[in-house]
Amino acid sequence: MFFLNHRVTMQIHSNMKMAEVIHLNYQLLPIISRFEINLGFGEKTIKQVCHEYSIDVDFFLEIINSFHNKDYFPKKNLQGFSLKLIVEYLQKSHYYYLQTKIPHIELLLHQISNFFSGIESATFHSIDHFFTEYKNELTDHIQREEDKVYPYVYAVETAFLNRNPTKEIVSRIRDYSMNDFKDEHDNVEDKLYDLKNILIKYLPLPVDPQLCQTILIELFRLETDLNDHTRIEDKILVPKVKYMEKWILEHFTL
Amino acid sequence: MVMESINVIIADESPLVRLGIIGILNKIDFPFQIREITNSKRTISSLHKEHKNLVIISNSYINICPPELTAVLLSKHKQTLRVLIHDDKSAFKTLPDFDEILEPEDNEKVIIRKLEKLLGAFSTMKPDKNYPGEISGREKEVLQLVAMGMTNKEIAEKLFISSYTVITHRKNITAKLGIKTIAGLTVYAVIHKLIAPLELH
Repeated sequence: MFFLNHRVTMQIHSNMKMAEVIHLNYQLLPIISRFEINLGFGEKTIKQVCHEYSIDVDFFLEIINSFHNKDYFPKKNLQGFSLKLIVEYLQKSHYYYLQTKIPHIELLLHQISNFFSGIESATFHSIDHFFTEYKNELTDHIQREEDKVYPYVYAVETAFLNRNPTKEIVSRIRDYSMNDFKDEHDNVEDKLYDLKNILIKYLPLPVDPQLCQTILIELFRLETDLNDHTRIEDKILVPKVKYMEKWILEHFTL
Repeated sequence: MVMESINVIIADESPLVRLGIIGILNKIDFPFQIREITNSKRTISSLHKEHKNLVIISNSYINICPPELTAVLLSKHKQTLRVLIHDDKSAFKTLPDFDEILEPEDNEKVIIRKLEKLLGAFSTMKPDKNYPGEISGREKEVLQLVAMGMTNKEIAEKLFISSYTVITHRKNITAKLGIKTIAGLTVYAVIHKLIAPLELH
């Protein structure tokens, strides 16, 4: 029993075979594919695969370990990576949510309509409407990060690395800082929580239980992925940028 | 965990006192249904035999309150706990037996601690026959109006209750159903035929 527990939270290291990682935790599959690594690893280790795809192996390890084990979060290590690496990873997960995950769940939800007819179809339409709203909110949220937050993050990093606290960057920091960034996740998270409960507790009988289970499992997976995404933002991105903002404001002189 | 809501009655003439108590209750994470009593007899029915009641009443209110109402509010009842706001130091505070006494000099922390201790006493009482997740008739009404897209203020006006009470109902609905957003509550209302699809905002 102890052995099993130990194995579940085992830290993944660079000399492990990539195939073993998947056997250890299949939920890492979408994370690995986010790095554009394809299946068919043969006997190659993580180090070898990363080398082949020109991926920073330490960064790769931190990301999959943080997803694999919620308690594993060596902030210091991740703090060492450039914001560009972190942002690129976050962007790839955005792409995965919008291009793969959401359309897949949407497709499954549409199958629910087959189980309702006539006046009962109101149930399906209300769920469909709910999910469309969720999708739009998530899309808006992601769009805002892509259009506003990430360019801001890059600008702060550039000013920090060049040791060049200009008037322009200072006024940008005063206009919008990383403190403002943290507030906006709530409603999107609440909607996902609601949808799970509606399916678990309230969906009327005619719907195929197998279909409901499939949708629920997809929703739980999406939630896990989003939580991990948020953790990387809150624990890595935000403190790192805030540190740079502080330095810039302190070193700015008229 | 979903908890059975507690019927709270706040009896005091001063709106400042009532609002203060409501503000503090809102900081305690518990499903309350709050009713305020000033002086009308209409509210005598507020004490529910089947529900858990928490009566919060002040000395000054007892002094001016019609005796028949005090009798109802302070009657011995297994599922009712009584709290005295001890605002008149000259009054005899142990009549009748109160479960807790709030002193004017108590700060917020002390009041919260006292109330939470009482709520702990509730949880050891025998649960009543209503099963926990079920929403009450009034909550159902509020839920319908929420699902139709009305604001708290509009709902308060329509049902002749305060906005605070609407907020309390909404907190209770969310705690019982496990649904937090308006959009989610709307789906629930459609599934349970509480609103017709045409009424969707």
